[in-house]
Amino acid sequence: MTPPAPQARERARGQQPTDDGASPGRSLREEMDITKETLERRKAWLEFTQGDVERLAQVDTLVSRHADELVEQLYAHINAADGSRDGDAAPTHTKGLLEEYFLGLTKGAYDVEFVEERLRLVGGLRQRFGPDPSWYLGTYNLYLRAVGERIRAAGDELDDPRAVFESVRKVTFLDLGFAFDAYMIERERTIWRQEEELRKLSTPVLQLQDELLLLPIVGFVDTARAQQLTEQLLYAIRERRARVVVIDVTGVGAVDSRVANHIVQTVEAARLMGAAAIVTGLSAEVAQTLVRLGVDLSAVRTVGDLQGGIEEAERLLHADGPSPSLPDGRG
Amino acid sequence: MDTSEPLAVASDTDVVTARQRARDLARVLGFSTTDQTTIATAASEIARNIVTYAGHGQLWVRALDEGGRQGLVVVARDEGPGIPDVERALADGYSTSGSLGVGLSGSKRLMDDLDIESGAGAGTTVTMRKWLR
Amino acid sequence: MPILKQGDCLIASVQDALSDEELRALQNDLAEQVGRHRARGVIIDVTVLDVMDSFATRTLQTIVHTTRLRGAEAVIVGIQPEVAFALVQFGLTLEGIPTALDLDGGLALLRLGASRSRSDGHE
Repeated sequence: MTPPAPQARERARGQQPTDDGASPGRSLREEMDITKETLERRKAWLEFTQGDVERLAQVDTLVSRHADELVEQLYAHINAADGSRDGDAAPTHTKGLLEEYFLGLTKGAYDVEFVEERLRLVGGLRQRFGPDPSWYLGTYNLYLRAVGERIRAAGDELDDPRAVFESVRKVTFLDLGFAFDAYMIERERTIWRQEEELRKLSTPVLQLQDELLLLPIVGFVDTARAQQLTEQLLYAIRERRARVVVIDVTGVGAVDSRVANHIVQTVEAARLMGAAAIVTGLSAEVAQTLVRLGVDLSAVRTVGDLQGGIEEAERLLHADGPSPSLPDGRG
Repeated sequence: MDTSEPLAVASDTDVVTARQRARDLARVLGFSTTDQTTIATAASEIARNIVTYAGHGQLWVRALDEGGRQGLVVVARDEGPGIPDVERALADGYSTSGSLGVGLSGSKRLMDDLDIESGAGAGTTVTMRKWLR
Repeated sequence: MPILKQGDCLIASVQDALSDEELRALQNDLAEQVGRHRARGVIIDVTVLDVMDSFATRTLQTIVHTTRLRGAEAVIVGIQPEVAFALVQFGLTLEGIPTALDLDGGLALLRLGASRSRSDGHE
């Protein structure tokens, strides 16, 4: 469906799912905060200079000379080390990965795009060989030995073989640094995903009394989790016929305006189902800050501590006066 | 269910059909009941916009499969008067005054993304997507 | 759409998808019956509605408004969890309209309002 030229095109993004699904290298890079500045800092720590870049170009010439031989060496090492498999089902693909990764180390411009590419390749390797990095380190070690041999064998061809090997060592540390971060982040993501599944199974809404529910929120709250909690609260209101709910955020580390807006939405949704909500665990200072940040707390009853909030809830439930769910908040 | 054929939208009965079709596909694709309602609400909104502002138009509801992610897309198209200032229409606030912006900005909040192609006198195409979590 | 009488309250249960025609009919019926029975309250039960868009919301607001003009209070009951969730995400809060979980809740709400206005003389 391509529109004719004069029409305006407007793109609006609503909420984003937490896993963006954009190019894996890029989102990892953003998560690891790899910018031009942080990359330069890492290089400075390793004393990685333009001289090293030039020497690595020389190494690249050496390595490319007998590239196939080197790849076969690496491949043989992996096959020997991995006793569990019957045999590699896709040797060409595996060798291709190894060539791209290890031979690519000396072909880079060592800028941010290079890092992205390395992260992408590490992802490919991880997919192929699994989440345990020890095979990776073993193969890297072999690569260094093989390159060292070729540098020694090159003899007079190089001005300063020791300095050349130094450069290889530096770029190795640079590369390993990124790979380690990537492995750690992937592990964290797996753990997070497992915790997510656990969270979905548990029911966080507690019944304190007839018609009174408590929803304690603990830990980090992102959009997905906030929506989940809201859903669970609303279903509980219907099932237990609650007229008052207490939402306790004492255990939420940082209540920022995003979290606060989720809470406001939850309170409004509860109201639509005839239940009044009291939010506890927001200190007066935090509440004031949120209001200053533009969060509209006018329709939200807040009480500093949980105990006080429960007492207020009981008062609302048993009062003879105006009903808790009247929209103007009387009572 | 053949979701490749568009639904003709010209009356409020068609609006009901549109949201039922959106809900049904959402259910089949595995969206939660909450998301089914969200999707149906957004579909209802843009279908109704067709009737209100253009008199008649078409609506598609299709499954999506992109880069490993699954989801649903709703496309509403009409040859009506169009929206001269799309940005302003989307920026409209939380009012129930019945203006076009309410439905569009609200639908944008309900779905994961919303695209509008329109211009004065040039018809309107609204595309909105929601992804399975 | 059938409108039932319970004490001095009227109960209207919305069937699926309130069309323009049905809206006008409901509005008129309610207005007429509030007058005829001197009803103090009207309950609009939307339990069956699985979607409430901006049109449905405007519709209900109109009904509540015209009911109030005739001296009766109106309460919406039966908004389902998924619908409540979608409404607030959309940005429609039904501000100024009393709500309750179900018919019992709605009746209790109306009675509280009625007894309050009787006891202190003003609403």
